[in-house]
Amino acid sequence: MSNSKKIGFLVTGLLMIAGFVAWIYQYKEGLVLTNMRNSYSWGLYVSGLAFFVGNAAGGLVLSSLIYLFGVKSLKPFAKIGALTAFANVTAAMISILPDIGQPIRLYHMLLHPNLNSPLVWDVIVLNLYAALSLIYLYILMLPDLKGPLAKIALKVDQPKEFSEKWAKRLAPFSLVAAMGIHVITAWIFATQGGRDWWNSAVLAPDFIAVAVASGTAVVFIVSLLTYGFKNEHQQAYRSMAIIIATAYFVHIFLMYNDFIIHYWYGAHEALETLSITFIDYGLAHAFEVLAPLAAVILLLNKKIRQSSGAMISSCILLILGVFAHRFLLMPAAFDKIQLSMNPLGLQHNYWSVPISSGQYDPFIDTFVTKWHYFPSAIEITIFLGVIAFMCFVVLFAMDRFPIAGEAEA
Amino acid sequence: MIRGMVIDLEKCIGCRSCVVACKQHNAQPAGNWWNRVFTPGSSRHLSPPEKGREYFLPVHCQHCRNAPCEKVCPVGATYKHDDGTVLVDFERCVGCRYCMAACPYGVRQFNWEDPKKAMKRYEYQNEYTYGHPKDYRLNGRLVYMQSRFKGVVEKCNFCVHYLDQGLDPACVRACPGKARHVGDLDDPDSNVSKMIRDKNGFNLLAEKGTEPTVFYLPPKRKEG
Ligand code: SF4
Ligand code: SF4
Repeated sequence: MSNSKKIGFLVTGLLMIAGFVAWIYQYKEGLVLTNMRNSYSWGLYVSGLAFFVGNAAGGLVLSSLIYLFGVKSLKPFAKIGALTAFANVTAAMISILPDIGQPIRLYHMLLHPNLNSPLVWDVIVLNLYAALSLIYLYILMLPDLKGPLAKIALKVDQPKEFSEKWAKRLAPFSLVAAMGIHVITAWIFATQGGRDWWNSAVLAPDFIAVAVASGTAVVFIVSLLTYGFKNEHQQAYRSMAIIIATAYFVHIFLMYNDFIIHYWYGAHEALETLSITFIDYGLAHAFEVLAPLAAVILLLNKKIRQSSGAMISSCILLILGVFAHRFLLMPAAFDKIQLSMNPLGLQHNYWSVPISSGQYDPFIDTFVTKWHYFPSAIEITIFLGVIAFMCFVVLFAMDRFPIAGEAEA
Repeated sequence: MIRGMVIDLEKCIGCRSCVVACKQHNAQPAGNWWNRVFTPGSSRHLSPPEKGREYFLPVHCQHCRNAPCEKVCPVGATYKHDDGTVLVDFERCVGCRYCMAACPYGVRQFNWEDPKKAMKRYEYQNEYTYGHPKDYRLNGRLVYMQSRFKGVVEKCNFCVHYLDQGLDPACVRACPGKARHVGDLDDPDSNVSKMIRDKNGFNLLAEKGTEPTVFYLPPKRKEG
């Protein structure tokens, strides 16, 4: 095992332990340890769900491009795509566990599922997608399962052809499942007529666009870390840069399309959500737009694509921007009180009914119309633990299984 | 039969007796208030936003007929009883708080910590406790308990635990202005149906399509 791998295992291992301990502590004390309260009832954990689901798109992009559209240059990255898809979709599910007040009772989801709830649909597709990515990965690895791994290999006559054939057959299903996880995750929010910020037909398509950008960036990073910079991969780098750029511009178009329509009409509710995003969270919004823009401009530059460090940094910048985007899913939804009105007979008084925060503190109001949420140290520790878990799964699989096939040879 | 409520804003004097009665009878933990009364347009209760123009607005769960909270609940912990009351089964709730994100009225509250612990911290004296002491099950489902589990959601339950005794909700009984009325919305001749018809009953956020069963009667115009 190389030194960098050892450090990788050590760091992810320690972070996972820290996150797990923090979760146990939070489980014992209750979610009072987070900075969420009644008026702002979802925070970093649920943003994390959306973030990881987006990162899981890599598998879709690659397998469909390779096996449905014949983009051969990406082939060495197909297994990495399936692996990062699996790691991220599992991380997505783990990231909402600490958000659940009574995690032990989750078996009620099996005993009494409410089929009306988009959350139930999401749990179903996320699990399906996780299973599908694993099967996909297995099929792609099949020809290379040799030596000690031969035990787990399916006995077929011509593993190479078999693998090729089934990868092709599965590609359309994985495409549908992958669209499914983004669309349904978006529907958790978009179906909520009670929250103007989410209740938009554009949210689901936008989730797909963001996911294609960040999912590809994740594969890009892992590929560069595994194979290093290689001239014969130039074509693949270029393809991935173009996919990321296109997806990013579609995302910006969808997002601003929504903003402009609402801004033009100028209804109170819409202006309030926009002012939360553009004024209260102006810096974060600037970052969510500009960081990925910078990343895209860099990645489209041929010279940048000569250096693995520069490409990796650009992809990380893009992913950070996407993370900011996911974080901003919450403020404009929760810092705007839906029950707002012009009190009867008062023309110029737009007034919001405060919400009881659920926290009694002699020095601050119990009834609030804004809750200045920033994740607590516990939330951040747990979230870092989930990121570490995702990285650990990737590292571990890379170490044990023939995923970076051709490069090791 | 659909149990509905009418709140007559002309009669509400903003005394918040219903708020206190609700908090006490339903043993609400510190920081949680199922029922609240505000002075619309003003950030301070009882201070008029414009001279002579104040009225008071009680807000609690609207027991929506098309209740988003019920539709989103992944495990059916939030559910609708036959009489239209939207209830939470404290034993079933997994605490995902999806219902809180879904409710447009901001009336759902979470047990962020063990309520007993919070009581201690807030230094109530001599182990003082409040609230209806006995658990209440409706068709086997735990819809009222004095000391809630941590990590579950709660909200107005239309005082379901007094239903058997034929008692109206605590807020209705506690209102000195007789501003609150309960009755059958399905019956066109019930007291509530008549009031809604004769006095221009309206809903909060009617445009959200939640179809609340709580109606408000507008206050009379005050002469300047
Ligand atoms: S007011 Fe809120 S909690 Fe009550 S039924 Fe309607 S959506 Fe549900
Ligand atoms: S918090 Fe409880 S009642 Fe609300 S949606 Fe989740 S399981 Fe249902």
